Amino acid sequence: MDWPALSISLWLGAGTIVILLPFGLWLGRLLAVRDFRGKLLVEALITVPLVLPPTVLGFYLLVTFGVRSPLGQVFQSIVGHPLPFSFQGLLLASAIANIPFVVQPIQRGFEAIPTEVRDAAACCGLTPWWQFLRIELPLAWPGVLTASILAFTHTLGEFGVVLMVGGNLPGQTRTLSVAIYDRMQAFDDRSAGIMAATLLVIAVATLMATTALSRRASLSRG
Amino acid sequence: MADRSLSVVLRQDGPIPLDLEFSCGSGDILAIFGPSGSGKTTILRSIAGLYRPAHMSIRSGEHTWSDTVTGQHVPPHLRGVGYVFQEYALFPHLTALGNVMTALGHRPGAERRQRAEDLLRLVHLDGHSARKPRALSGGERQRVALARALAREPAVLLLDEPFAAVDRSVRRRLQTEVDDIRRNLGIPLVMVTHDFEDVVRLATHVLLLERGRAVASGPIATVMSRPDLAWLREAVGLGTVFDAVVTTVHQDRGLVELSFAGGRLLAPARHIAADTPVRVRIPAREIVLATQEPAGLSLHNVLPGVVAAVHFDPAFEPMVVQVDLGGTMLLAEVTRDAVERLRIGAGQRLHALIKSVSIELLTSASDDTR
Amino acid sequence: MRDLFRSSIVVLAALWTLGVSSVSAQRPPTIAAAANLNFALTEIAKQFERDRGARVEVVFGASGMLTRQIRDGAPFEMFLAADEEFPSQLTAAGLTRDAGAVYAVGRLVLFAPNGSPLTVDERLDGLSRLMQTGSVTRFAIANPDVAPYGRAAEATLRKHGLWDGIRSRLVLGDSIAQAAQYATTGNAVGGLIAYSQVKEPAFADKGKYALVPQADHHPLRQRMVLLKRASPVAEQFYAYMQGTAARAVLTSSGYEVPQ
Repeated sequence: MDWPALSISLWLGAGTIVILLPFGLWLGRLLAVRDFRGKLLVEALITVPLVLPPTVLGFYLLVTFGVRSPLGQVFQSIVGHPLPFSFQGLLLASAIANIPFVVQPIQRGFEAIPTEVRDAAACCGLTPWWQFLRIELPLAWPGVLTASILAFTHTLGEFGVVLMVGGNLPGQTRTLSVAIYDRMQAFDDRSAGIMAATLLVIAVATLMATTALSRRASLSRG
Repeated sequence: MADRSLSVVLRQDGPIPLDLEFSCGSGDILAIFGPSGSGKTTILRSIAGLYRPAHMSIRSGEHTWSDTVTGQHVPPHLRGVGYVFQEYALFPHLTALGNVMTALGHRPGAERRQRAEDLLRLVHLDGHSARKPRALSGGERQRVALARALAREPAVLLLDEPFAAVDRSVRRRLQTEVDDIRRNLGIPLVMVTHDFEDVVRLATHVLLLERGRAVASGPIATVMSRPDLAWLREAVGLGTVFDAVVTTVHQDRGLVELSFAGGRLLAPARHIAADTPVRVRIPAREIVLATQEPAGLSLHNVLPGVVAAVHFDPAFEPMVVQVDLGGTMLLAEVTRDAVERLRIGAGQRLHALIKSVSIELLTSASDDTR
Repeated sequence: MRDLFRSSIVVLAALWTLGVSSVSAQRPPTIAAAANLNFALTEIAKQFERDRGARVEVVFGASGMLTRQIRDGAPFEMFLAADEEFPSQLTAAGLTRDAGAVYAVGRLVLFAPNGSPLTVDERLDGLSRLMQTGSVTRFAIANPDVAPYGRAAEATLRKHGLWDGIRSRLVLGDSIAQAAQYATTGNAVGGLIAYSQVKEPAFADKGKYALVPQADHHPLRQRMVLLKRASPVAEQFYAYMQGTAARAVLTSSGYEVPQ
């Protein structure tokens, strides 16, 4: 079992959620509540990472942020190392790849709130912030939870874009899924099998936990 | 009491056509009546600030809530609007108490719980405060919505089809509560309904709406006495509605005597005390006109009056005769043949004969006696 | 919402630090190595740690891919390629200390897994016969574009006049390691893989092999280079690679070592 790789995978999953949740909450709610010109375009753009092959995303990230690109050089001068082959690079790649997994469930969660309930919150004297915190968020909670779990488990399974953008650097960018591939190449099926089983268990356990949690949440809401 | 009267002007061509203006004074109930799609809910939403038509002016007392001329628009959460939504819009994840407490943000924390409990007691729900909306019946949810709207200490109370989803007996009780609230709070109350019974029972003023346009508006008695409103006829049947006071209760005879602006009436009634204000409705077809004062009839009520006008709408038989009883305009449906036979015309003195059993008493304190 | 925002900034900063610290902390140098060195180099690195008390981390891959990564800024400190051309590209780009040194010469083998209809011989007659009967389902080589052993495999097949006939049956591994995977599992009748691979303990009893004569392809001279950012430990390892202990391991793994 490649413990650093497991740690990197978990941190990557958690980091992706942390980066994307605020963005997803803002955009998901906006799309659910407001109608505006260009909304269709925004919704389509959000779906792009879903249908894009991960290698395409990896390729464009390398081209845009690689050491030979202007943006990449800016990054390097600020941070001290290039974006590819770094954990930050993985975070960026993972965040972009997971946008649809986060925004769409959150959007559905907010869409499920009847307009009248939101209007009632305003008529109760709640400012828009409190309206969001006290009324909308508790009601959209299942959507937020689904978004988090989808992004987390999807990140655990990412391979193509992680390999392209991160390389396979042990202790830095070698995630568990890449480690499995690495061990297989070395004919170490035993290690590969242990790690694959671990990923499977984590994925199943998280999904079970979310299902149980969301069922309890919807029961208490009625 | 501070002047809380509401004045509203709404105009726009589309997508929802609107062209109306009205005002509603403190303590008045304005009923907005019209078929579905006529824009009734839009009016309420505009008053609350949830909808912004192209041209609007909303004033509550001395505060301007909206004015497209000056560009002012106070957001909904800063207006003092108590809104009871059509489907109640209770917060499903909060208890009844929680729902009401949400609207009490303007009160200091320690008071909120107590005040919420008081309001729930007011609407007779104090035993259910810990229940969530899904564990409450339709009528109970209605009352939580009402309590929540009142918690805001609003300057205006808005009710959207408040009695639509509720069965008859509960409806009567709710109407009583609404009437009490109106009398006690001294704020304008705007009520949207497609059920004219609600209008007749509760409203002091009526606005008749058709496709976003006000077809008629004014005090209930005046509007009701307009015979030219064809669809009013279809909707409720023509009749006269006015307020009266019980002067004497004749227990032995099973009758009460009412005094109103056109004279006195006898009507059958039980369980009504003297000095109770009542609202009276007399269907137009229940009235018989006589050019001479009759004798020997079973009728209790013979009222002298002067014919104000005779209306003929070719789409309807019979004709409608407006009789001025000296303060109240009575509507009577009479066949064209009778009008011609008796040569009924404006200015003619005659008597209106009303059977006591035809008189509907709509009070806040008793059930419908029909 | 504001609180959510604030706390997520804090966590983001923590993650950032994690990322940064994993680079700047005292980590063992990362060495890029051609996939054919999988067993030999792991063994050498172990001995290096035992003998010198310092650790290196090795990342295996196709020489072409590793070259590309180095050009894209991958933080390797040393590169052991499967040929001389890829390192020379890096030298020409000014990314290396110098032109490096040849540390081993590899050999290609024709491999057939147990149960395969392919019989192995150094003249590839068995393969030729199998092709004539039309029984070659799949044949594995490394991708010639990224793996020098794949280039050598193509040259060998061309030399024996088998390239055109077998082309449509080829399955290309993205490294010699993946090619070996294909060669040993399921559908491929066999493949052209590295001698160093069949000499690995993991490969014992997996099948039969025959050494391909060196004359059939360009010699697989494998060159290593130190990259500009190489640390003292990497320099030590570079020297160790040319020492007796490392050469012994390389020899027993099937490489020829230069004098």
